[in-house]
Amino acid sequence: MAISNESLPPPGWGPRGLDLLLDAFPTGQLSEIVGPWSSGASSLLLALVARATAPGGLAAFVDGGDAFDPASAVAAGADLSRLLWVKCGGRLRAAFSATDLLARCPGFALVALDLGEPWLMRREPIAPALCLRLKIAAEQSTAILVLRAPHRLAGSAAALAVSLRRLESRWIGLPHPTRLAGLSSETRILRSRAHPAAPTSGGLVIEWRM
Amino acid sequence: MADVRRIACLLVREQTPERESGIARKLLEVALAHSPRVEEAGAGLVYLDVAGLRGLFGDEGQIGRRLVRGAADRGLPAQVGVAGSRISARVAARRGSGVTIVAPGDDVAYLASAPLALLDLSAEMVERLRRWGLRTLGELAALPAAALCERLGSEGLRLQRLARGEDPRPLRLWAPPPVFEESIEPGWATETLDALVDLLARLVERVCQQLERRGFSADRFQWACRLADHTVHEGSFSPAVPMHEAAAITALLRASLDSRPPRGAVEAVTLRAHPVRVAAAQDSLTERSRPSPRTLAAALARLAALLGARQLGVPVLLDSYRPDAVIIDPSLHPPRSPETGVRGVTRAALALRRLRPPVAAGVTLTAGRPVHLRSDRLTARIVASVGPWRASGEWWTERPWIHDEWDVELGDGTLCRLAHDGSTWWLEAIYD
Repeated sequence: MAISNESLPPPGWGPRGLDLLLDAFPTGQLSEIVGPWSSGASSLLLALVARATAPGGLAAFVDGGDAFDPASAVAAGADLSRLLWVKCGGRLRAAFSATDLLARCPGFALVALDLGEPWLMRREPIAPALCLRLKIAAEQSTAILVLRAPHRLAGSAAALAVSLRRLESRWIGLPHPTRLAGLSSETRILRSRAHPAAPTSGGLVIEWRM
Repeated sequence: MADVRRIACLLVREQTPERESGIARKLLEVALAHSPRVEEAGAGLVYLDVAGLRGLFGDEGQIGRRLVRGAADRGLPAQVGVAGSRISARVAARRGSGVTIVAPGDDVAYLASAPLALLDLSAEMVERLRRWGLRTLGELAALPAAALCERLGSEGLRLQRLARGEDPRPLRLWAPPPVFEESIEPGWATETLDALVDLLARLVERVCQQLERRGFSADRFQWACRLADHTVHEGSFSPAVPMHEAAAITALLRASLDSRPPRGAVEAVTLRAHPVRVAAAQDSLTERSRPSPRTLAAALARLAALLGARQLGVPVLLDSYRPDAVIIDPSLHPPRSPETGVRGVTRAALALRRLRPPVAAGVTLTAGRPVHLRSDRLTARIVASVGPWRASGEWWTERPWIHDEWDVELGDGTLCRLAHDGSTWWLEAIYD
């Protein structure tokens, strides 16, 4: 835990590195964001949603475990009126079918599949064919298709795999913390079809702020 | 000899707003019983072409009286005017009582003495003509056309032509609205939902073909099942946009049947579509690519069939401090004009993952602060905590709420939001 001596949280505008990272997500390909809870993976996913909807694009959020928080999306800069929220209630196969269907519907700038609940993965194994099907659907569209999961699911089907790791949480208040200010996480590109050398490059630290 | 144009105007004298819809239907019934050439011209007003009806119904006076009697039989006090044009017939119907006949060729003379108010002018035009000293249609008809055009433009010329009884436009013939309805009675009772959907899917296919062939889409579908106990089980559904795509409509139909399954075996089914014309629209070149409304509606219909119609839509935040105050608006109609977002600058905001519903948790306190969390999802030592932050609201309703929120960090680094409502601890969300 790190305690900041700032009396107010700094403005919530991310570093340039986040924009560079978001630019790396390819259209017409399946990408993957992996990381455990509190790693910043969901924050990265919502930043992608904001990047897609803020300039007027339409995004779909397939919510495997009904964990999506619209208020967080707004905080990230997303335009909710351009977001289709699909709640799957923990039905994994339905979530994959819905994502496949939306990826094949032309006109979406982003289709996100959120399977970030570890208990979902434990309850029902994911067949590799499901991810391959998503890869094929993505290749027939112009959308960014992104899958968020606690660990890697798509394997070679993903053109880009980004891993996030929690570094430390940040709190405000002295001598005792009174508020959570955010957390910092390290982002690593595990696989990049567009830039094969990327996996060897160093991690990018992102400060996620409240 | 060229046919002489003869138009009858059937006009209802008194109307009340609540009767207007019924009046139009009854007037059409009366008119169509006498002539196949009928124009519906608004509430309580229809025109008929009565040329050539003498052999069937007698002279124009007799036809007019038949029309008045037919309307009276349906409870409508009506007046009839017969003349050589629609405007003359309408003025005759309004000025006279009962039946008024304007002899062929006498239209101009008849209209000359009629007050200008009978032309249904705007208040501004009435005032302008009044300032000019005009009172009757004859006075308007006598004005020099060029001077009138200079002052009133084409509208002045149009009014003058009407004042002279010149109304050459043919009647816009009324046609019954097309019916898109299909039924099937297989000869045996259908007992499973899948078999019933298969049966209805065949009807959907046929109805959609008819719609497409006639250039229509449908904005509402109604289905009816005749059950083995001779009762009728009905339902309806509306696609997000008018459409005639069979696959999407079948998916919606399945969702509709799933939500209202019949109580017993089905002997016959009927499907009816409400047709609408959909004007083709071209997207702007400057707009971002968007799904076409039909493609999107078809995708949403399939998603609704897969997950349930209430499971998808646009998230709408409610104006409330209650945690997770959000609803889903089932319609996805994003604004057409894109907002200009700032690309290249993204807010690095820490997101929450909601647990829906919140998970009851056991929390151990030391000196009033949580030190250990135990729940179905997470069990760990708490190494840092901030709170409590009290939140409350809606105390003025029957569902008041109050709780204390804590942000805690577990031993493995997981950041959570806990809430205590006075009796129970809840694991509400995970920071991620």
